[in-house]
Order: sequence, then structure tokens, then C-alpha cells
Amino acid sequence: MRRLRFIIGVLLAVLWVAPLSAQQPTGTIRGRVVDDATQQPLARATVTIASRGAVSQADGRYVVTGVPVGPGFLRVRMLGYAPVTQPVTIVAGQAVVADVAMTSQAISLAEVVVTGYGEQTAGTITGAVAQLSMDEFNPGRIVSPEQLIQGKAAGVQVVDNSEPGGGVSIRIRGTTSVNASVDPLYVIDGMPVSTGQGGGLSAGRNPMNFLNPNDIQSITVLKDASAASIYGSNAANGVVLITTRSGAGRHGTQVEYGSSFSAMTITRLPEVLDASQYRTAVGARYPNLLSMLSNANTDWFSYIDRTGYGQEHNLSVTNSSENAFYRLSLGYLTQDGVLRGTTTERLSLGLNYDQRLFDNALGLKFNLRGSRANDRFTPGGAITNAFQMGPTQPVYDSTSVTGYYNWPGNSLTSPDNPLELVDLADDQGTTWRSVGNLQANYLLPFLSSVRLNVNLGYDVALTERLQFSPSTLHGQTKNANFGNFTRNAQSQTTGVFETYLNYAAPLGVMPGTIDLTGGYSYSQSHSEYPNFYENTLSSDLLRIFGIPNAGTVVPSLYVSDAKVISFFGRVNYNYNDRYIAAFSIRRDGSSRFGAGNQWGNFPALSFAWRLSQEPFLRGVGGLSDLKLRASWARTGNQGIPDYLWSPTYTYSNPYAQYQFGDQWVTTIRPGAVDPNIKWEATASTNLGLDFGFSNQRFSGSIDWYTKKTTDMLFDVTVAAGSALTNHLWTNIGSMKNTGLELMLSARLIDGHGRDLAWTADFTASTNSNELLTINPRAVGAQQILETTVAGGVGTFIQVIQPGAPVHSFFVCRQAYGSDGRPLEGQYLSLVGDTVLTGCSNSERRPYHSPQPKWQLGHTSRFTWHGFDLSFTLRAYLGNYVYNNVASNYGVYQELNRGAPYNLSTSVLETGFTAPQYLSDYYVESASFLRVDNIALGYAFNYAGRPWRAYLTVQNAFTITGYSGVDPTAGVNNVDYNLYPRARTFTGGLSVRY
Amino acid sequence: MNIRSSKALFAVAASLLVVAAAACTDPTVAPKSTVTPANVFTDQNSYQQFLARVYSGLAVTGQQGAAGNADISGIDEGFSQYMRLYWELEELPTDEAAIAWNDIGIPELNAGQFTSTGTMIKAMYYRIFFQVGMANEFLRETTDALLDSRGVGSALKATIHTYRAEARFLRALSYWHGLDLFGNIPLVTENDPLGATPPRQVARDSVYRYVVSELNDIMTQLPAPGGAAYGRATAAAAHMLLAKLYLNAAVYTGTAHYDLARTEAEAVIASGYSLAARYRNNFLADNNTSPEIIFAIPFDGGHTQSWGGMTFLIHATCGWNDGYNPNDIGVNGCWGGIHMRQQAYLNYEAGDTARTSFFYLTNHTIPMTDMWDFKTGIAAPKFSNRTSTGGTGSDLGFPDTDWPMFRLADAYLIYAEAVVRGGGGSRATALGYINLIRARSYGGTAGDITDGEMTERFILDERGRELLWEATRRTDLVRYGLFTGGDYLWDWKGGTFAGAPLDAHFALYPIPADELITNPNMTQNTGYTN
Repeated sequence: MRRLRFIIGVLLAVLWVAPLSAQQPTGTIRGRVVDDATQQPLARATVTIASRGAVSQADGRYVVTGVPVGPGFLRVRMLGYAPVTQPVTIVAGQAVVADVAMTSQAISLAEVVVTGYGEQTAGTITGAVAQLSMDEFNPGRIVSPEQLIQGKAAGVQVVDNSEPGGGVSIRIRGTTSVNASVDPLYVIDGMPVSTGQGGGLSAGRNPMNFLNPNDIQSITVLKDASAASIYGSNAANGVVLITTRSGAGRHGTQVEYGSSFSAMTITRLPEVLDASQYRTAVGARYPNLLSMLSNANTDWFSYIDRTGYGQEHNLSVTNSSENAFYRLSLGYLTQDGVLRGTTTERLSLGLNYDQRLFDNALGLKFNLRGSRANDRFTPGGAITNAFQMGPTQPVYDSTSVTGYYNWPGNSLTSPDNPLELVDLADDQGTTWRSVGNLQANYLLPFLSSVRLNVNLGYDVALTERLQFSPSTLHGQTKNANFGNFTRNAQSQTTGVFETYLNYAAPLGVMPGTIDLTGGYSYSQSHSEYPNFYENTLSSDLLRIFGIPNAGTVVPSLYVSDAKVISFFGRVNYNYNDRYIAAFSIRRDGSSRFGAGNQWGNFPALSFAWRLSQEPFLRGVGGLSDLKLRASWARTGNQGIPDYLWSPTYTYSNPYAQYQFGDQWVTTIRPGAVDPNIKWEATASTNLGLDFGFSNQRFSGSIDWYTKKTTDMLFDVTVAAGSALTNHLWTNIGSMKNTGLELMLSARLIDGHGRDLAWTADFTASTNSNELLTINPRAVGAQQILETTVAGGVGTFIQVIQPGAPVHSFFVCRQAYGSDGRPLEGQYLSLVGDTVLTGCSNSERRPYHSPQPKWQLGHTSRFTWHGFDLSFTLRAYLGNYVYNNVASNYGVYQELNRGAPYNLSTSVLETGFTAPQYLSDYYVESASFLRVDNIALGYAFNYAGRPWRAYLTVQNAFTITGYSGVDPTAGVNNVDYNLYPRARTFTGGLSVRY
Repeated sequence: MNIRSSKALFAVAASLLVVAAAACTDPTVAPKSTVTPANVFTDQNSYQQFLARVYSGLAVTGQQGAAGNADISGIDEGFSQYMRLYWELEELPTDEAAIAWNDIGIPELNAGQFTSTGTMIKAMYYRIFFQVGMANEFLRETTDALLDSRGVGSALKATIHTYRAEARFLRALSYWHGLDLFGNIPLVTENDPLGATPPRQVARDSVYRYVVSELNDIMTQLPAPGGAAYGRATAAAAHMLLAKLYLNAAVYTGTAHYDLARTEAEAVIASGYSLAARYRNNFLADNNTSPEIIFAIPFDGGHTQSWGGMTFLIHATCGWNDGYNPNDIGVNGCWGGIHMRQQAYLNYEAGDTARTSFFYLTNHTIPMTDMWDFKTGIAAPKFSNRTSTGGTGSDLGFPDTDWPMFRLADAYLIYAEAVVRGGGGSRATALGYINLIRARSYGGTAGDITDGEMTERFILDERGRELLWEATRRTDLVRYGLFTGGDYLWDWKGGTFAGAPLDAHFALYPIPADELITNPNMTQNTGYTN
């Protein structure tokens, strides 16, 4: 409270000093600044006359008052445009109108870039910011908004999977945390969604899927901390600002309709033994099991995979008038995955409504989005079982209860018929979500040049996930579980209230321009996690549509609340577009920490020097932009579970009771907490250089950054007896990321009109991560093992260890025979190359990181007459994947089960009998080059309307030496039964009325 | 409304918003779905529920059965179950058993080649201190001063006094495990504050003395034998624990106390327990009805589930590829893990029927030629989820069978050993106890021994036969000086099939590396370099 008063006080002090006008006859000049070619209004153009000046507003309007009477020159300047000088004559006491049309020179410098609590022109930005807009987005079948920018921005890694709409994560400049959130903060039209929870709640695959990518105008990634830190909480992982399409444009009503159809096919499946190889292996190794085999020849994967078809329809109506515009959009998308049972469907509605009132003094923006997503999932285990099921066995069996064949004997260690599973089990999720906000900005009548902004927003998500397995499934009967049903109906409601004052000092008060922002933000969210599970069903007939009586019923409910309160302020100073400086500070209070540790301060400082604006460089060598940037900032991360600070007692569930006589007592366990946990903090420094030649025909940027995260939350082992358990969440570790990013873009063939044009973008980035300390107070080497491997219960494959990149693989050195084959169970000692039998913890070492050393991206776009052709390439170099499919299934011992499991063809190379999970043999180089997409479009007029038809191929092909199904194996890079990567063909048509 | 007035109204509303906003500056939110120390004891049932949690640390791995919301970290939750770990540490490095799985942490136990990074060793260490921590916290929260301040009535207060004695018993039990396995360990009690400086390391003999004095101190506060609900500790359990401590006193302190071991065993024997009619009844799903069991850890298919304990000991002791029918021991599947070394098998003589009735040799070889092949070495599913009347436990996955931690036959054998080792008492009585045990297995007097045959070594072998796979073997072999060294070799001792001598330092487990890292007061046990 005291701080807010201070901010307001400073603002007011500046205001009262400003209007010191001279007592001579003056007049006013007003008008509108527009782009000569498009007639679109230009904001932030500097208009000066004599010693007076003003900056044009969002609608292009400007007003300069107190101008001395008489003839003079109106000068209008804006980055990216040729300056305009226009003679005018000012009349005492009157308002002269002068509209100005400016000609663009280097349009990219003038682009409006959305930043936190404001906008800036690209040329004056001091931080590291990447903005991508509609024409740069990835084409094709895009379900999740994040996919729009995959491979497009240096330092921004978009990790997806191949389920349609499958969970996508964005990693900006490496990973800054291990245990707190590593997801960026998403802000949609000024509304932060679900701070620190990866975009909110969903019963589907990705919480961000509620947003129709077709409604997005631009995505801005605030990469360096100085740009992001105005968002304080969770800005440590960067901020992704999404701006939806609004109705701005030519006056009148416009209707747009687009539809597309697509087909997805599998590119690569895991390699398993075929029927004859399988029979040979069983015969050679376990001849006693040969009698179990039948004579079929079944390719199990072919029964669960398919071509996934999809379609999408988008209809929008926009209307624009002098003081208002709106855009109403309706979208429908459905897409089947390449495995049977996988479908995603979205119905979405969006409304953007802008209204200006009181002679533009009051602007209202209303954004509303709502959607319903239905996701159907291929039941868990389908891929595993398709892998393990014997290829000699038939698919159907008319004598069985379900009609599907299963191994006889009902053994716990016999695989299930994957088709039975896919056909008879259900797994689906429905997500209703709506995000909306009202933004008002009001030019205060009693304080000139001060704008009051208010942002009131909400985010409501209602989800329901339903899973059902009938009692007759082999997977149920072999476990003596006779059918189960699960219902998770989580909900989350978030409300946001923000208000801030913005003051742009009138020109002429001081050299250059200054604007000040100060504000307050409050957000509160409430989440409920009811869960219902039952097994041993009395009936299979209700499936997911009812709750039959059951042997075991386990309902539960967990409720949690979170609150973040913030104060923030920012000063931007710009001297002639030559020297630019910004300072911001945010003070955040979070409910995720206990009293005394709730508040964190997050300052940022940045400078830019536009050398190209210096007289000695102006026009030299065709230089159109040369800007040096430097910034330092501190950001925080509160993306941790609620109530970690609070000592609690936890009740046992009905299966963890204890017997006292004939009574079963529910137990209660005191939890071990560190009541002093606090924010993780990341301090980052960024140095950047932007450059452009020939009016930005060739442009680019280089950024170097280093980030150090301290007070990292680790669940560390503590001295026995010093806490209520052996581990405690506490702020203890530190980590460093250093990286380099390069972006180049060029209009290689600068075609005019309908001539051939070719633009090309190239991005490259490298990030090196090093964990510095886990527990600085501890003595000796420390490590935290993580990521369980499939098959080896309790075996962890990755490590967090000081000096190594986080999540490095942690393995033993495989010994090889003279024939180059790995020797089973034989390893080389870390020191001295002694051959050891078996791999013990003390002989393991961090070996390669899952993170790519280099990420490269390239997009080319050609246009010629009505045609456009583009493609996007993406390459990762130096990334490694642990092939858990080979390590778990590539061993002969897997044949020796209740029914022989089929094997990975890896066994033909290794000849291993028993699994060697911890061998570095399975840590494979997964560098790749992928053609992410190729798109061909044709625009034409028909029946007086503009049409566009297009064809795209996504994931056209991949070149890699990796032996598994996909070198981009998730975030942790452990390849285990990944959803197969698909190639997608899409054809579409759109028209405007 | 004209523009001017609406403008003014808007300005007023805007100012109000700013003021209203600035009023909200407290981000504190209290948890709703959990209880906190501030309110938990307003429900008086919490005392019993908390005590039950101190007990359940021996049975479950977290607050969600069979797995979930784990108690300790750094290990697979199923692996982290107290009795599973204790069993592995007491049995795997001995002549009795090995596990045929290559999971990290198991091979070094099978071969007796312990290292301080061993996963199971570390988890056992932390399990012990988890128990100690729960007991200490219970004692902190139940002082008379606190009970009075919460207005606890005198009847409940008396009950809580008994609870406190039980919590101290459980703490003593875990400290015994700690000093037996690890030697010099931290000694923390309810008087040591949490979160402060790391605890000091205390010499093994001091921990021993502390445990002995605790047990003697609570003896009269514990319920009399037979006077407590099933599952809870009585004075007989405390006597049994004291008997075991005294029996091994020479190992722990350098000074033998066989006389005290004998008198404690006598106190147990005088407590009204009797041998179960059939040996196997102690290991079945209804072993809660056995009159022989002094202290048990209850498991139950419907209420107390975990992936350790009896779930592990029943599923892992039968094979999936040797033709064994899991239904024979009342479960839905076999894991093919724990197999028996030939030395334990050859320790039995013909006629020892009841104690070998569950041995399964089909498709097995007697020598354990391959540690990783379940079918070398025999299978011995001693524990079963079948009842004494042929029924099956309530769940095929999670057995109802309870872990018989202390039983009368063990007290008989302790008595005999104490007598033979010169602890006083009567050789005739001792011989009578041994023949009582043997007659139950032989079905008559055919297996009776003479006084001359009742040697120290005979008692070790008899303990092996009677208490096979009951998690006492390592302690017994150490006491007899046979665990390390080369006087007694068994399959894979020291990592070779023929067996190799173990260095003397392996008689203790190493202090886990993680503990050495986090507690600078700790010194590693002699002989361990890592």
C-alpha cells in the first residue's frame, strides 16, 4: 500500500510540472497519421512543430496544443518510415487540421510489438523479443497454438508430440528450473492464464487447445528477462503473449470462411520381430515355450493404426466503423490420430469487440473466448501390447468371452490383445473453457496525458475425464481386477483485476520522450479436484455413462486456492530513437509461500543504442538499422504446488490403514516442510545486436545471454533425524544457462507486384546448461537421480549433478567385444578401463544431455503471381535420446514370460539375454533434420470474391541416425512407446465476402 | 445521461477502483483440504490415528495404498517398504536367499559387496529414521502439558500414556535395526528440535544402552501380554526385543549378556504364548489366529496394501516359468524373484517335513549356478495368502498374511542359545524347547536331539531351519562370526558361485553416501572407502 502511494505520488509530481506553457498567443494543430499505402492509422509517430510536440495515438490521431501562432513546419517522424515535413500556418485560438500520410521505408522497424502492459515499435525495443504474426505461422493442421511458432524463433523450443493436439511445451532459452515450473507464462490479450501451471487445466491433451489458432493475430515471445520481468511471477521462463485477431481494417462488414481437410499417416513404427524371427528366437532360447505358439502371422501394429482424417471450418464476421469494431468467429475442428481411438474435436467461439467513447478518451476492449474440446484417447497400454503380443498369434477367437484372442493361462506376465483393448475400453476427456476480459483505457480529463487502464478478466475451466475398462478384458482378468471406472471432474476458476496508470510526457518538456507506467494486479484462483474411482464392477453395460455398483469405490476431493498480488512500475525513455532506456520493477506477493517470504522484488534495466541513428553512420553502407542492446533483470518463479510452506497432516486412504484389533484405523501423517521456502530467482543478462541493410531488406539479430537461477527449489535429502522424513523441499540449488541466438531474414528476391519474390528466415541457437550446486552446505559429491526407466523398477536413468547439464543420462560404460558388439553385463570402469561385471551406482557418470546443442530453423517463402510456396526446416544437433524401447524389449529374457513377449529388433544386434538398462549403448545420438512443413497456395478471384486454395504437408520427412521411432522424444528424451509420428497432408480453401 | 456527467462518473469509478485495489495486499491463503498442527488435535481421534501411523510405517509406504504419497524419497516407493528392505538386508547376503532381478541395488546385496551408494541400503537407513521421526513427533505432541492445554480428559490421557509407551517401543525397535545394521548412527529423541543442526553420530554401544534403558523404562507402561488389541505391542514384545539385544550384546558392545538374554526369553515364554499346532499356520493368511505370534505387522488385502511386506514375500517367492501355480499360495501371479541357496536347502534333514513342505523343486536345480536365473536354487514359497482351512485371502494381489516379527519358537531358540553360551538356566529345559520345535516339524520324536548334540553350531543351524526367511539370518551369522571371513562359504558369497571370503568390514552396512554428504558429523564405518 505504501509503495502504491509512492508510485502514484511520483506520477502526479511529473504531471504537475509538465504543462508550463508560455503566455503568448497560441493555436492548436490536430490530425491523423496514416500509412500512405495501406491508409492504416500509425500509432507512436512523433509530431513536432516549433518546440511543441505530441505522439500519435492508436487511431493515428494527434493533437499539439500551445503552438505559437504563424507559419511553421510540421515534422512527423516514425521509425521505419520516411520523415515528413509539411508547412502549416497556426491561427490563434483555433485548431488547424493536418493529416499526414507516411511512406514506409523499413516497415519491420515500425511493427507494433506487444509487450507487457503496453506496446512498442520494433525498432525501439530494448529487450530480446520475437514476434511472429499470421503470415509467419506454420501452416497445415495446427491444433495447438504453440505449434504455430515451432522452429520459427531462435531460442524458443516447442516440444510437441504426435497425438493430434498432443501436449506441447515451450522452453525458452533452456530450462531455468528443475522442480518449479519450466513453462512460460501465457498471456492472452492481456489476460494471464493460470500462472505457473502450463496454461491451465484440461481433461484433454493440452490446456492451450481451448484457443483456436485461427483466431490468433500474433504471438510475441519475451525471451530475455528485462522484457519479461514486468510480469514478475513466472517470468523466469519467459512470457508468451498471444494477441487475437480483432476487427480493425477497412470499414464495413466482412465475412471470411475457410475450411480444410487432412489425412495423417504414420511415418515410422517401432521395429519388432516378425512371426518367423519370433518363432526362431523362442525355439532357440526357450524351446519349452514353442508349444504355446500358433501359426498366424499377425502384424499387431497394423490392427491399431490407421490413416487419421480431419477437417476444420472457420467462419468469422468482422465489422469496423469509425469508433467501434468487432470480430466474431466460430470454429470447428476434428482430427483423428494415427492410432485407433485417438480423436480430438474442438468447437470454439470468439468475440473481440472494441469501442471508443467520449471522443476517443475512453477505449473499451472486450475479448471473449469459449470452447468445448472433446478428446478421445487410445487406451493406455495399446502400444506396449501391440509391441509385446506374439506375431504368431491370431487376432480373433470366437470361443473367448470378448471374441478376441488372448494367450491362454491368464498369466500376469502375458500381454493383452491390443485390439481388444482399443475396441472395448474407453478413455475420453471433455474440457469446457472460457477466457475473457474487459480492458478499458481512459484518458483522464483532469490530468492531461494520463491514461487509466483497467483489466478485468476471468478464466474458467470445467473438465471431465472418463475412463472405463470392462471386466472381461484380458488386462483386467489377469490382474484379478474385474473392470474399473474413473471420473475426474476438475475445475478451476481464476479472476484477474489489474489497473495501471500510464503517463506519456508531452514532447518538449525534456529532450526525448518519456513514459511512465505504474499499476497494481490481483489474481486469485480456486481449483477443485474431485476424483472418483471404482473397480470390480457389477456390470459392464453402463460403460462411461453411469456408475454401477462396485466392489471397491474410492471417491476423493482436493481443493486449493492461490493468490498473487503485484505492484509494478516502468519508465521508458527514448532520445530521438537513438538512446533508449527502460527500467521496470515488479513486486509480487504469492500465496505459495509462507508469511515473511511471500514478497519478491523483480527489477529490470535495459538500454539500447541505435548506432544507425548517429549522424556518422546515417546511410553508411546501406545501413538501415544498427542497434546495440544490453539488459539485466531478475525474475521469479512461483510455479510450485500450493501450500508447500504449510505443515500439514495427511490422512491415509482406505488402503493404507492399520489394524488395531478388529478395527482398521485411518492414519494421519505429519508432513515435513521447510516453512521458509521462497521464490526461485533468475538473474539474467542479455547483450544483443540488431542490424538491417537496404531498408531492412536484409536484417537480423544476434543475442548472447547468461542466466543464473538461484534459490532453486530442490527436494533434497536431509540429514537423518533432522526432519520428519529424509527429504525436504527447500531453496538451495543454483544453475546456469548461457546461450547464443542468431536470426537472419532477407527478401532475397524482392519481387514487386506479382513478380517472383523470395523471403528467407534463418534461426540458430545454442544453449548450454550447467547445474552449479544442489546443496552448497553439503560435503562431497551429490546427485539426484530421476526418470524411472520402463522395465527396471526403481531404476533411474537421468541425473542432476553439479557440473553437468540437468537431466543428463546417468549410465555405465558399455564394454564391446572384438566384433564391435556390446558384451552383456560387462562394463568398463570409469578409471582405468577395467572390465567390470554389472553396473553399480559408483561406476555411473553423466553422459550426454537430452538438450540439443544447436537448434536450427529455416523458412523460405516464394510468391509468384497468385502462387505462394513455403517450407520450414528444423534441425537439432547434439541431442541424445535414451532408447528405452530397445533396452526394455531388446532382450531374450522377455520371451521367458507367462507368454513370450515379442522383442525389439535391437536384440538381433546385442544378443542380450537380460536387460542392461544402465548401459550407455542405449543413449543414442538423435540429431536430425526435419522438413516441418511444405505449403503451396494459390490466390484467385472467382465470382468477384478473393479465394485462396492451398495444400500442405507437415512432417514431410526426417533425416536422422536415431534408431527409434522419433528423435524428438518428449522433454526428457526417454523414448518409450511414443505415439508414432505422423505425416499430415492438408488441403484447404478460403474465401472472403 | 449526458457525456459530461458520465465522464465524471467514470472518473470517480476509476478512482474508486484504484483505491479498492490497493486495499488488497495480503496474499496469504490457508490450506483447506488438509489439516494442520493448529487444528488436528481438536479431533481427539487424531491421537489414535497418529499412533497408528507410527505402527503403519512398518507396513505401508505412504498415505495411499498400495503406493502413492510416499513417506520417503530417492527410491521406488514399492521398494521402500520397511519390512521388504529389512528382509533384503537380513537375507540376501546370507546362505538363505538371493533375488534373481537385476534391479539397481540388488546385485551387491546378493553378493555381500555393499557400497554406500546402494539403493536398498540407503532406503533402509532412511526408513529407520522415518520411524524414529514419527515416534518423536508423536511424543512431542502428547506431552502432559500439551494434553492439558487441549483439555484432554483423564480417561483419554491415560490411554495416551499407553500410546506413548508403544511409540517408544516402536522407536526402540527401529533403533535396534539401525544399530544392528549400521553401527554408529545418529540418536535423536523427542527432545531434539527438528530442522536445526545435523544430529551427532553416536557410538553403537551408546545407542544400544539407550535402547535397553528405554525398553526397561516402558515395560510396565505397556499393556500386559494378551492385554492389547491385535497388532499392538505388549510387554512381551518388549521382552523379546530385549532378549535379542542381549543375545547380540557381544557384537554391539564387546560385552556379552547371555544371562540377561535368558531371563528376557524366560519372561517371553512365561507370557502365555504357545506353539501353533502346525508350523505353517504362522505364515498363512489367517496367521493372526496363531497363538505363537508375539508381535506381528498386519497386512490386509482390503485395508493395508503395499508393494513390499507380504505382497513382496509371497509374489516374489514363486516362479512364473517353473510351472508353479500361483493359486497354490492364493495370489494372482508370481514374480520369480527370491530363490534359495543350496546351503540353506542342504541344512534340512529327511523327515523335517513341516518345515520343508512348501519347497518347490520342479524345473529347479539345487545349486544356484546362475544368480539371475530363478530356476537355479530352489523355490520356497513359505508365506502364503491361503488360510489354514484352505480358503484364500480377501485379495489376490495384496495378501492378508501378517508378518510374524516375533514368535515363540524364536524365544525358545534364544533361551537355548543363551543357556548353551553360558548364560545360566537349564540345559534340560533348553533341550526340551528345541525338541518341542523339532517334533512339530517331524510330526513326532524322530527328529529329537540329545544334550550332546545341542551345541552352539547346532542352534545356528536349527535357527536356519526354523526361522528360514524370517529376516534374522544376517544377524545370526554375524553373531557366530560366520558372516564374514572364509569359514563358511555359500553360493555367490563374495560374488562367485563357489563362494569367496568376505572382508570383516561387511559385517556392518556402510553409512549411506547421501547421509555422509548431508551430515558432516557422520564418519563412515571402517573398511568402506566410498
